Amino acid sequence: MTDRKNKADDLVHFFREREKELECLYNIEELLVEPDAPRDKVFRRIIETIPSGWQYPNICNAKLTIGSESYFVPGFVETPWVMTAEIFVEDRKEGEIRVFYSKEMPTADEGPFLKQEKRLLKTVADRIGNFILHQQLLEAAEERREEQPRESTGEWRVILNLLHHTDRNLFESVSEKMLNQLCWSGVAEAEQLRNTLAPADLDFEAGPEWEANKPYQIHSLEITDRLSDEIFHIATKEYTNEQLLAFLRKWIQDDRLGYLLRVGNPNISLAEVIGALRQYRDTSPKGSDLSPAARKGVVVSLITRFLSRQLIFINVAKKYIEIRDFFEILDRIIYTPDSHGQLGGKCAGLFLAQQIIKKSYGTDPLFANVKVPKSWYITSDVLLGFLRYNNLDEVIEQKYKDIDQVRLEYPHVILTFKNSRFPPEVIQGLSMVLDELEGMPLIIRSSSLLEDSLGAAFSGKYKSLFLANQGTKQERLDALLDAIAEVYASTFGPDPIEYRAERGLLDFSEEMGVMIQGVIGSRVGHYFLPSFAGVAFSRNEFRWSPRIKREDGLIRTVPGLGTRAVDRVSDDYPVLVAPGQPGLRVNVATEEIVYYSPKKIDVINLETNSFETIDARDLLRLHGAELPLVEKMVSIYDGHSLRKPMAMSIDFEHDDLPFTLDGLIGETPFVKQVHGILKLLEEKLGAPVDIEFAHDGTDFYLLQCRPQSFSQASAPAPIPQDIPADRAIFSAKRYISNGRVPDITHIVYVDPLKYGELSEREDLVAVGRAVGHLNKLLPKRQFILMGPGRWGSRGDIKLGVNVTYSDINNTAVLIEIARKKGNYMPDLSFGTHFFQDLVEGQIRYLPLFPDDDGIVFNECFLLGAPNILPEVLPEFAHLADVVRLIDVPQATSGKILKVLMNAELGEAVGILAAPESGGERIDTPSIDGGRPSDHLWTWRLRMAEHIASQLDPERFGVAGFYVFGSTKNATAGLGSDIDIIVHFRGTEPQRQELVLWLEGWSLCLDEMNYLQTGYRTGGLLDVHIITDDDIRKKTSFAVKIGAVTDAARPLPMKKKS
Amino acid sequence: MANKSYNAFEMAQAQFDRVADLIGLDGATKDLLRYNLREYHVSIPVKMDDGTVKVFRGFRVQHNDARGPAKGGIRFHPMETIDTVRALAMWMTWKCAVVDIPLGGGKGGVVCDPHNLSMREQEQICRGWVRQLARDMGPLRDVPAPDVMTSAQHMLWILDEFETIHGARLPGFITGKPVGMGGSLGRTEATGYGVIFTVREALKELNIPPGDTKASVQGFGNVAQYAIELYQQIWGKVVCVSCWDQKDQTSYSFYKEDGIDLGALRGITDRFGGIEKDKAKKIGYEVLPGEAWIEQDVDILIPAALENQITKNNVGKMSDRVKIIAEGANGPTAPEADNVIKERGIFLIPDLLANAGGVTCSYFEQVQSNMNYYWEKDEVLGKLDTKMTSAFNAVSELAKKRKLYMRDAAYVIAVGRVAQACKDRGWV
Repeated sequence: MTDRKNKADDLVHFFREREKELECLYNIEELLVEPDAPRDKVFRRIIETIPSGWQYPNICNAKLTIGSESYFVPGFVETPWVMTAEIFVEDRKEGEIRVFYSKEMPTADEGPFLKQEKRLLKTVADRIGNFILHQQLLEAAEERREEQPRESTGEWRVILNLLHHTDRNLFESVSEKMLNQLCWSGVAEAEQLRNTLAPADLDFEAGPEWEANKPYQIHSLEITDRLSDEIFHIATKEYTNEQLLAFLRKWIQDDRLGYLLRVGNPNISLAEVIGALRQYRDTSPKGSDLSPAARKGVVVSLITRFLSRQLIFINVAKKYIEIRDFFEILDRIIYTPDSHGQLGGKCAGLFLAQQIIKKSYGTDPLFANVKVPKSWYITSDVLLGFLRYNNLDEVIEQKYKDIDQVRLEYPHVILTFKNSRFPPEVIQGLSMVLDELEGMPLIIRSSSLLEDSLGAAFSGKYKSLFLANQGTKQERLDALLDAIAEVYASTFGPDPIEYRAERGLLDFSEEMGVMIQGVIGSRVGHYFLPSFAGVAFSRNEFRWSPRIKREDGLIRTVPGLGTRAVDRVSDDYPVLVAPGQPGLRVNVATEEIVYYSPKKIDVINLETNSFETIDARDLLRLHGAELPLVEKMVSIYDGHSLRKPMAMSIDFEHDDLPFTLDGLIGETPFVKQVHGILKLLEEKLGAPVDIEFAHDGTDFYLLQCRPQSFSQASAPAPIPQDIPADRAIFSAKRYISNGRVPDITHIVYVDPLKYGELSEREDLVAVGRAVGHLNKLLPKRQFILMGPGRWGSRGDIKLGVNVTYSDINNTAVLIEIARKKGNYMPDLSFGTHFFQDLVEGQIRYLPLFPDDDGIVFNECFLLGAPNILPEVLPEFAHLADVVRLIDVPQATSGKILKVLMNAELGEAVGILAAPESGGERIDTPSIDGGRPSDHLWTWRLRMAEHIASQLDPERFGVAGFYVFGSTKNATAGLGSDIDIIVHFRGTEPQRQELVLWLEGWSLCLDEMNYLQTGYRTGGLLDVHIITDDDIRKKTSFAVKIGAVTDAARPLPMKKKS
Repeated sequence: MANKSYNAFEMAQAQFDRVADLIGLDGATKDLLRYNLREYHVSIPVKMDDGTVKVFRGFRVQHNDARGPAKGGIRFHPMETIDTVRALAMWMTWKCAVVDIPLGGGKGGVVCDPHNLSMREQEQICRGWVRQLARDMGPLRDVPAPDVMTSAQHMLWILDEFETIHGARLPGFITGKPVGMGGSLGRTEATGYGVIFTVREALKELNIPPGDTKASVQGFGNVAQYAIELYQQIWGKVVCVSCWDQKDQTSYSFYKEDGIDLGALRGITDRFGGIEKDKAKKIGYEVLPGEAWIEQDVDILIPAALENQITKNNVGKMSDRVKIIAEGANGPTAPEADNVIKERGIFLIPDLLANAGGVTCSYFEQVQSNMNYYWEKDEVLGKLDTKMTSAFNAVSELAKKRKLYMRDAAYVIAVGRVAQACKDRGWV
């Protein structure tokens, strides 16, 4: 019974205790929620209330400590019988609360205390913590509400207090910065404060002493709470609460992002820079937490690290690039661990252009579909890492070797590079690229540092390669590595090295960044290609109408990959549009439009994994319907007229569908977009630009942007002033384009007056034939044609000399002379009869208006200099009155004619001057960096000469070795063969041996050509063996030997031993 | 000095004078035919794209319409002169007369350079031109067609404006329209087939079965290809064609002893008749220099490319076997070479006759448009055969009868027919 009674008593006791505890908690809770209650009073009431919750209230005392303040009842003494709970405000210990028994009591759960009491105390402590926090927030809100007066506390003060409690270092740093800020603003009080605290030796009044060569003694400040208070006290007088808040925020942010500011340190590796950027991206994805100055600093650092060290570039770039713009490329940079490299010129140009367009046209719907393809970047110094990794460092010295040796060793360099290995982290990076771009064709573009510093002048010297990116992962990776190795090798190719040597750039430590992009386009049949692509220039250097201004720009575009628009191909034409005047087309007559429409298309063949040039008609016939936007790109040609197709009305199998791009130009925003982009980029970059683009049928992709390229031959030429009258041949001030032709040795002058007097049609036609003959005989690109009116006039032969393009294709400049007739000035053709041929052949066009005021037209010279036409072409001697052939050096005792054209000034002159290089160019044309196709024929000619010099005439029974066709006529293209005539007099076994010997050469040259150009033809020599009999009968190719026109050129063979 | 210089109209008059004297034309008729009957000079104000107004000068010349409505192209040319237009109008009169189609000669033009004009501006010129001339032209008076730097598009603008003015559909006002918009089928084949119709008749006259003959053709464009097509259908064998190589900027001849395979060559040819040299080599053609076409051992030479191709330099290289030269191109024979051909007694089918298939087909287009009923291609080509054959026979008969060189005979017949019509009408 007793037992049971005891148990019941225990239970009652237990509940009574819980009841007391709850009661106590409620009471305390009531105290804490009381609004506006003064803190002291609340805390005091709390310690009075606490004992009521404890088992032995009469001997129970509580003590509350908050910061430096303590609260307890009078007569309180500390004893050993105590329990404690700490008070936290926002995870910071603010104080504690302790409960004592004044004498020893029986042992319970924890000493004399119950475990429930422990929990109770903890709860009370938490509630007090919350209470303190709540009070602080209320105070802050109160201050903000009041704002005034100045001395009152502001939000900034809450922050400062917070710092004071939480981050002493930052608190001190902020206070010091405030002091500096005040001093810089010239607040005398603040300066005083600083001087009293840290008297420096700096005494501006002290004169010479101050300039003494001893370092200043700067005493560092020690920021105490009091000092801080004083500083901010001064500050409140100078700044509003908002300003102070802004200062604090900025300094706190700057401090927090200190790691980001480190990117300005040039010594830290790219990995660290990228790491810092990543951290920033993850913590402030909007990228807006930095102060404007710090932001600018970081942006400039990043531009310098990634893009360019060129001040001009940085100057523009910092206006348009933000830190977060770099976020998207962070994960697409491939580098070695110790890399300090950059992305290279091509990437930099594209990146900047992209940001300019984004920031300027952000919301304009016209530019909504303007994009940049996804790209990956291998930093420029990975090339050096690659060399080191493979012990190839000595390749760098390649550039100091003799250029012929460089040329000779280049194929070997390519092979060595292709057989070398890449550092593992690069392979790993590339492997990830391939995972993301699975099955998508790639383009591997060079992006070198020199391309950056020289802009476009260096363009096209290094390789860009297409990859179909098909097959197993390993196959794709191998192909990618192979391609990168080849791009790397091109750094050490003869062309760029020669170009650098010419311009004193050899000592520049060239590095090669590589850009890997997915090719823009879609699958069409088993091909992959963009719908169309090309290049566009903000300045039009080839104007076909006086209504087109330079600022109207120029687009060269083709269906398929843009390679055919970028490069000049000898047998095809891109579509030309002046974006500022899209209505004025180069070709007007139906046949011309069709004739000059692109006939071939560059594609990636996904089945053979290769880059291919295919016939446009074949593609349309088989897969026309699959090509996006095709209905806007072709016209239907019925043999007489062209019609724009209606949707679905195209019969791809039977219709003749030339790519006129009429629909694209007239009915889509394409031309407007390009015009807008060109104008914007030219304006923002402060210089004419050229861009490369591609279109997949939906979106317009910007692929490249750089300062407008001027090959050497088309750069604006400085125009000398005060030319002596006897040295000026002509000047011009209307419709001038850029160009410089420094070494004219012959002038063909068709006298406008005498031409006009010819009364027989036959004679007029003969003038054209005479010009055609001279075109074949005179040194290519070293003579000019000057004639009346419209060169190439067909029907109305009176209006200009009746020639076709092949009659003038070797001239350097085509000049049309408009002489006043009565009071009207005849129109000139602007070369429209073969305009596109002139463009592709880089033949300059110049109109002369001799009767304009202030124009030089030295008729004395043109009519007075000896005419050598009768000697050169006796069969045309009767036209000597009309057609004058002037050998300039002969007529001027050694001078040559320079034609200098400057579109910027709108001026051009033809002047006599001393030759620049001893006048040897006639016999040995050197390679002109500006004309890629020239290189192709000189190389072929050199090879032909070399073969001839190696050919033993006795061994093979050979009497003569001749070259003709494109190699001789300097028209060879990438895949042209070398036409050879061998005059053979030997026996049948000798003939067989000869054929075999030449076959070896043929294959060998083909391989070399492939390595240089990527074109393979299966044999580069086209050998025609002729006999004495052929020559006698003048059959077959024997007619080429000693022919009046287009004769084969004999080459010296190996000397008889 | 100026009167000494070359003037196309004076040249055309001189040529006419020679023929007139040959047939002993009376003074009044000669005087009438030396000049055009009518010419119109118009000014066409056009509001340009930039808001300014520019005034263009236009012409229309009707040389003679005694045999039927005048017919001739309209040219856009920046340096167009009235003399050029007059000369070309006269040429059209003879051209229509030689094939005996009931049309006269006309020509027109506007002084402008389409390279400097947007399509909208060109449209305004076309419409402005015809607004000025609508009362003096028409399907029964004067019929324009595309010419230098004008296309089917320009013709449709002109037609549309004309029809709006007259409030009727009058497709017979214009020729050179696309099929489906009043154009005629068979236009593509017409010139090439026409050449061979005359060759066939010439062989008949020389008593040579076509199957025994070989031919060499200069050019591989539209005219040449259809000429070869029809020639092979009558069992002739073409052993050589030459064409321009765009890439090498020179021409080549393609030779095959046992006759070229037209289908195979067409398969490796671009739109403008350029044969791919390397592919031709692979399928068994011997590639020779461009001039080689004229040296071949053949019966028939067909220059169907450019003017001035048979010259004093190469005329001597012709094989003794050559019996017929059919001028598919305009003016392929230079005057000195013409004399050699005449002396050697080669049967020449002059351009005026040989390539008249084109103008004949334009006439057919006009006829069909006027009745608003269009023939099938076979019908067009059948009628073309009839027309060309009888034209050939008339010229050749005259040549035989009067012992004239074929070129002269063609002119004589043309001028004679026009003069006769003028007389019949009681004009002179």
